[in-house]
Amino acid sequence: MSSTDADVGLIGPKSDPKIYTFHVHGMHCSACPLLIEETFKELPNIASARASLANHQVIVTGEFAGSPEKIAEELTKLVKSHGYTISLERMKKDAGWKDFVYALPIALVVIVGFLALQKAGLTNLITSSNVSYGTAFVIGLIASVSTCLAIVGGLVLSLSASSAKEGGTWRTQTLFHLGRLGGFFVLGGIIGVIGNSLHLGLTANIVLGIIVALVMLILGINLLDVFHFAKRLQLTMPKWLSKHVVRGAKHDHFLAPVLVGIGTFFLPCGFTQSMQLYALTTGSFLEGALTMTAFALGTLPVLALLSFGSLNIAHKPWKGIFFKTAGIIVIALALFNLANAFATAGIINPLFNF
Amino acid sequence: MNKAVLVSVCISALLIFGAFWFAGKPANVDSSSAVSTVNGKQLIDISAKGGYSPRVVLAKAGVPTVLRVSTKGTFDCSSSLVIPKLQYQKYLQPTGTEEISIGASQARGTLHGLCGMGMYNFQIKFQ
Repeated sequence: MSSTDADVGLIGPKSDPKIYTFHVHGMHCSACPLLIEETFKELPNIASARASLANHQVIVTGEFAGSPEKIAEELTKLVKSHGYTISLERMKKDAGWKDFVYALPIALVVIVGFLALQKAGLTNLITSSNVSYGTAFVIGLIASVSTCLAIVGGLVLSLSASSAKEGGTWRTQTLFHLGRLGGFFVLGGIIGVIGNSLHLGLTANIVLGIIVALVMLILGINLLDVFHFAKRLQLTMPKWLSKHVVRGAKHDHFLAPVLVGIGTFFLPCGFTQSMQLYALTTGSFLEGALTMTAFALGTLPVLALLSFGSLNIAHKPWKGIFFKTAGIIVIALALFNLANAFATAGIINPLFNF
Repeated sequence: MNKAVLVSVCISALLIFGAFWFAGKPANVDSSSAVSTVNGKQLIDISAKGGYSPRVVLAKAGVPTVLRVSTKGTFDCSSSLVIPKLQYQKYLQPTGTEEISIGASQARGTLHGLCGMGMYNFQIKFQ
């Protein structure tokens, strides 16, 4: 830095490269710093850019004209479309703690409602023991508001709210649901033909349950947007998830949401598993496929409501409350799933009774 | 603002308290109708649908026991039965009866059974 203009702060005449430190608002993911760096480096007058997720800053070296405020404004224009704002001051969280005033009671009402649904004995609505496609659809409907909601719904809510928060579009959510329906059709057909279940063993089930719970826990904490340590935790999350599912939303990653949709076939959900057990007794591709598809269609309304609802609300003025509400619910469901997984493993005694 | 916080905290506390009261209601203990003895073997009948019933069974310890879990149009979690202590796991048929033998040496203490996702459970107390 040249010393001649040190006293006037950052307003330099020209030529000498200067180092500026700006705050970045809106950095959520491990891929964000890279994106910002790459965007800035494309400018001819910027020699280098280093962004850091940990302290939400970007350090740029280059030749600039105008005041730092002006520079921040110019830089913001470049990355605005990705949802970032560059500023001199650390931007205050305008929708911060006071959102919890609404978010906490709302989340608790939803959680208590969920518990009440479990006690209501919805499963007794299923009276027939032979499964028509209509029955499979009804079982799907019931499954989507029952215990499966804790794991499948929780995962959908955490992924879609996170995706919406990162600027994801309806395309990601649609691809997820298409993946789920298609996956249930094909995999349902396969188990119908081979007459053998694709069930995971007990250990795999428990491990999968714990992984899903941990992913939900991290996404939930991120949705709260108050603890910065969780952002660093996200780095330890599988790359394909943090990059493709949460963020890849906007770009050309068609595959990730589809794969996650297909993957829900294997999620530990009692209803899904007993439907699979039925599908494999059919002994035909088409019957197995249609049974599983009918079941998946039954779960679609609630899951679609969760994912497209999050997307819609993400553009409303009270989105801060929504993301915090979703965060609390997702964290609660994650802990619920975690406790259940440990109980199933025989490590702890069951905590919940329905 | 402060008033809003106060109201929010009160409602939240009430809901949390309510949830615990709701979920923590004592289970009905049943030992008479669920346990029977045939030819020196202890039979325990539990039905699985939307949970297990009865939820708590009192049985005799140290007796060879057969646990019979019956399903009737069961498509929910309770059809994937796990008994961690016996390292038992099975996806039960939607309708049918599953017999699980518990050796005399295993029939002691409390045996927890739960569904694959852990939401529903039952316990057999051998005493």
